[in-house]
Amino acid sequence: MIKRYLAFFITLFLLSPVTYGASGGDLKPVAIDLDNKASLQRGAQIYFNNCAGCHTLQYHRYSKFVNDLGISEEMIKKNLILTTYKGEKTKLGSTIVNSINHDSIKEVFGVVPPDLTLTARSRGSEWIYTFLTSFYEDQTRPMGVNNVLYPNVNMPHVLWYKEGLKELDENNQLVIKIKGQLNQKEYEQEITDLVNFLTYVSEPAQLERYSIGFWVMLFLVIFVFITYLLKIEYWRDIK
Amino acid sequence: MTKFIAWIDERLPVTKFVKNHLSEYYAPKNFNFFYFFGSLALFVFILQIITGIFLTINYKPDAASAFASVEYIMRDVEWGWLIRYMHSTGASFFFIVIYLHMLRALMYGSYKKPRELLWLFGMFIFVLLMAEAFMGYLLPWGQMSYWGAQVIISLFGAIPLIGESLALWIRGDYVISDATLNRFFAFHVIALPLLLFAVIYLHIAALHTVGSNNPDGVEIKANKNNDGVPVDGIPFHPYYTVKDIFGLAVFLTIFMFVVFFLPEFGGFFLEKDNFVPADPLKTPEHIVPVWYFTPFYAILRAVPDKLGGVIAMGLAIFVLFLMPWLDRCKVKSIRYRSISYKILLIAFIVSFIGLGYIGMKAPTYTLTLLGRIFTIIYFGFFILLYFISKNEKTKPVPERVTMHD
Repeated sequence: MIKRYLAFFITLFLLSPVTYGASGGDLKPVAIDLDNKASLQRGAQIYFNNCAGCHTLQYHRYSKFVNDLGISEEMIKKNLILTTYKGEKTKLGSTIVNSINHDSIKEVFGVVPPDLTLTARSRGSEWIYTFLTSFYEDQTRPMGVNNVLYPNVNMPHVLWYKEGLKELDENNQLVIKIKGQLNQKEYEQEITDLVNFLTYVSEPAQLERYSIGFWVMLFLVIFVFITYLLKIEYWRDIK
Repeated sequence: MTKFIAWIDERLPVTKFVKNHLSEYYAPKNFNFFYFFGSLALFVFILQIITGIFLTINYKPDAASAFASVEYIMRDVEWGWLIRYMHSTGASFFFIVIYLHMLRALMYGSYKKPRELLWLFGMFIFVLLMAEAFMGYLLPWGQMSYWGAQVIISLFGAIPLIGESLALWIRGDYVISDATLNRFFAFHVIALPLLLFAVIYLHIAALHTVGSNNPDGVEIKANKNNDGVPVDGIPFHPYYTVKDIFGLAVFLTIFMFVVFFLPEFGGFFLEKDNFVPADPLKTPEHIVPVWYFTPFYAILRAVPDKLGGVIAMGLAIFVLFLMPWLDRCKVKSIRYRSISYKILLIAFIVSFIGLGYIGMKAPTYTLTLLGRIFTIIYFGFFILLYFISKNEKTKPVPERVTMHD
């Protein structure tokens, strides 16, 4: 009997469409580690120093960083909250928005910079990582840069002072033309931290769901065992 | 205690109800694996109602705030993420369970006399469930919610004469909009669940009138002892209650594993594009319905004409209603039926899964061709079944049920 069920499931599995990894041709892998609090904190630092001016995290709240990332309230108020609301410094419990004027920023960049709360879920962590490491010099573009992953993107290469400026060589490979503050390895580490942070922001529940899930699984496996014994006991007299 | 129960029984037949439906309701003793899915479907239905109630507490059916309210549930509501993932995973598991439940009926002929009405009620539940899932999918107000609904509702526009006005009437606007979201919310949280509840009640009432079929397709009521109890029957309680609790435990283990570790299920349960808020001005590159609709969606696309496609898709569901009359073979269970029926059923299952795969993919020449072949096999199953079942070469059916375990 059990063999037949097994065969049934194996057949189902084989017939079931395997579409994993079908999309996203040349994305670079990125090592996401949400247990690495230091990396998440560094990511937050990079985000608020370089990205937050234009990109909001409108579904997330500053106060979440206290428990989730272990950043103290004072530190958040001092270093992460850079905006005001009705003349007062934005409160800790607020969502992470900014003060850009949509009309004027549209005039400058052609688009309103998108909210990034869920980008790690809609496009994926690897996409963000690849995007931020794929800028190169292109004088035909308004911002002087272009992107291999996202051709003709309107975003300037904000982190160029860290990475330096790359150009496309004759083999279509990206090579450093002007050196930045960091070497390539250091830059990639910073982007990994940033992507790690954005991955956390896209779904803060990830911080707890795996560890809770482990205990739930343990309970259920024991529950299956006990209910199986109960079934066997009751069915002893059925022939 | 006995006095209290007697007091109740004089006013409400509780003891009689428990006897009729549990402790003296006799079910065949040879149920196998496929017989877990009825009680599991009922469990998932209740789970969806309960998690749904908790979601409505914080969800806002308003185009301007729906998307944000879902994120609010995911982040700021205590355990909101768990409730939401249970609801979204529950929707997909509902269909897994229902499809296996229906497959069981096809395998063991559970739609045949005297269970025709039971099957019809089941089919009504299936159609209501599809409507329920479709409308629920609009509520998170992501890109795929929006454009999926746009595509499906516009299909009504293909109906001659009244089509466009019908689509307009359903949407309440010229495009999917706030008005649509609001009414879909009303249907999703109250109208359809109430209807589902009623039809599920009738489904179970019909089942308990005729009794369960079983993997041998033997009518256990034809063979009773002196007390009028079927010799191959065992009381539902405690035998099947303990067995179904075990089934439920296994189900929950798989279900909770998905909830905690794979809630998006690689984009099958929660699509990537649905993490982008609905934008009426930006069409996603590739609009795909959720996996449980893709077999029917592939049939729609297989027909080169829009109206023809809509008709084919409607027929694909409608023809299932006719199963009790299309299958004219007297033998119920696949165990005692001809090799031709076995081949037909396998071809049908392969084509259904194949169509499901094709419906998820962007159309290419090969896939469209394959989709057409599978569509022909899908309908061919019903047509050939009608003819081969008349004089089918069957094996002798035993007098009593057989036990394999």
